[in-house]
Amino acid sequence: MDATESAAVLARARQGDSEAFRALVERHSRSVFRLAFRMTGNEQDAEDVVQESFLRAYKQLGRFESRANFGTWLYRIVSNCSVDLMRAKQARHDQTRSESLDEAIELPANDLPTPERLAQSAEIQRRVQGALAALSPLERAAFTLRHYEGRSIDEISRTLGLGTSAAKHSVFRAVKKLRAALAPLRSQES
Amino acid sequence: MKHYSEDELTLYYYGEGRRRAHIERHLDECAACAACYREIAGTLEMIAAPDVPERGDQYGLEVWQRIRHRLPEQESGFGWFGRFAGFGRFAAGERFLSFAAAAAVLMLAAFIAGRTSRDAAAPPAVGGAPVDVAADRDHAVARQRILLTSVADHLDRSERVLRDVMNAPDSGDISTEQGWADDLLTTSRLYRQDALEAGEQSVATVLDDLERSLLEIVHSPSRISAADLEQIRRRIDAAALLFKVRVMSDQLRERESRPGAASPQTPTQKTS
Repeated sequence: MDATESAAVLARARQGDSEAFRALVERHSRSVFRLAFRMTGNEQDAEDVVQESFLRAYKQLGRFESRANFGTWLYRIVSNCSVDLMRAKQARHDQTRSESLDEAIELPANDLPTPERLAQSAEIQRRVQGALAALSPLERAAFTLRHYEGRSIDEISRTLGLGTSAAKHSVFRAVKKLRAALAPLRSQES
Repeated sequence: MKHYSEDELTLYYYGEGRRRAHIERHLDECAACAACYREIAGTLEMIAAPDVPERGDQYGLEVWQRIRHRLPEQESGFGWFGRFAGFGRFAAGERFLSFAAAAAVLMLAAFIAGRTSRDAAAPPAVGGAPVDVAADRDHAVARQRILLTSVADHLDRSERVLRDVMNAPDSGDISTEQGWADDLLTTSRLYRQDALEAGEQSVATVLDDLERSLLEIVHSPSRISAADLEQIRRRIDAAALLFKVRVMSDQLRERESRPGAASPQTPTQKTS
């Protein structure tokens, strides 16, 4: 889909043409899924976010300014849908999740393999996932955007609708918590 | 000597923050800040991006199938007629479906009658010369388009019925769905025969699969047990019927809208 075609499709979609919207869904679904998966860390949740994001996008298409980039606008919706879903999940499963994190962190240090093997191991990923799951939804979203997606603090603040300071501190808090959770692995390395 | 905070070093790691040149020089000179920075960088480097599960080329279409019936109604873009008829939400239920099925049968009858009368009325070729070949071709393309549109509409309606069965409560009365399936069954047979005659083998195959499921729905008890319903669902799932019906409908609509693309598919254009 070139730029002209894309603009035409967007214009039709904004007028409520569902077939035009379908073209947008087909074009952006994979990138939306990729971001949703990185945000949520879970395939099923990512699928839910994909669907909810497109439904929200369709509903809000009237607010989309045609001069803006649809992909960027959609990216924002996906990020916020992910935060909403993680908040809802957190409310339901707070207790269960914190227990599993404790379990992940309290593994005996002497069971750990060498640092070289650790770098490649599933164990490190398990701990990272546990640590990421312990972040608040906003911290996780801000960290994902900064660390995995390479977004600047300014972009994160625009994407998540936060002030620059709030976006920055969400990243800082996330990094602090991750450092604390992964400290046992670091101490084995050094 | 001014030390830098962990937050400043975190920003530095990510290539952000002010006074980056200062920080760089400071890290060369200050062992405490350098150790703190190494610890931050070492931790963050451990956190690699997760492998994202693969999604195939058809993923966009799959997502569309999942959301298309859930698009917010107030911005759905259906015209006044669509809303009045309940199109897209199946709100008018049986009456709408009966009307649609009757319209489809009439359209098909017109299609067949048109073809037959056209063949019968065609003047004989004089001296072997072609008689208005272009007009014949246009007519054939127009007929083909009618078939494509009718079958695509039929597949859309069938998809809705299958979805209703898939989403029905685990046990209970499915007589409404059976009524819809019965209406569709007659039309489906006609379309399948016509698709075969028109050389649309892949369309005929999908319609054949569809008929089997519609038959099963029609011949089940109206007050169906959870086990029987589960069996029907499993068969629909196993045949990937919903997906096939959707893909075929999309392909027919795409061919219908493409100039000169309404002619029957060749083996190299296989759709299923």
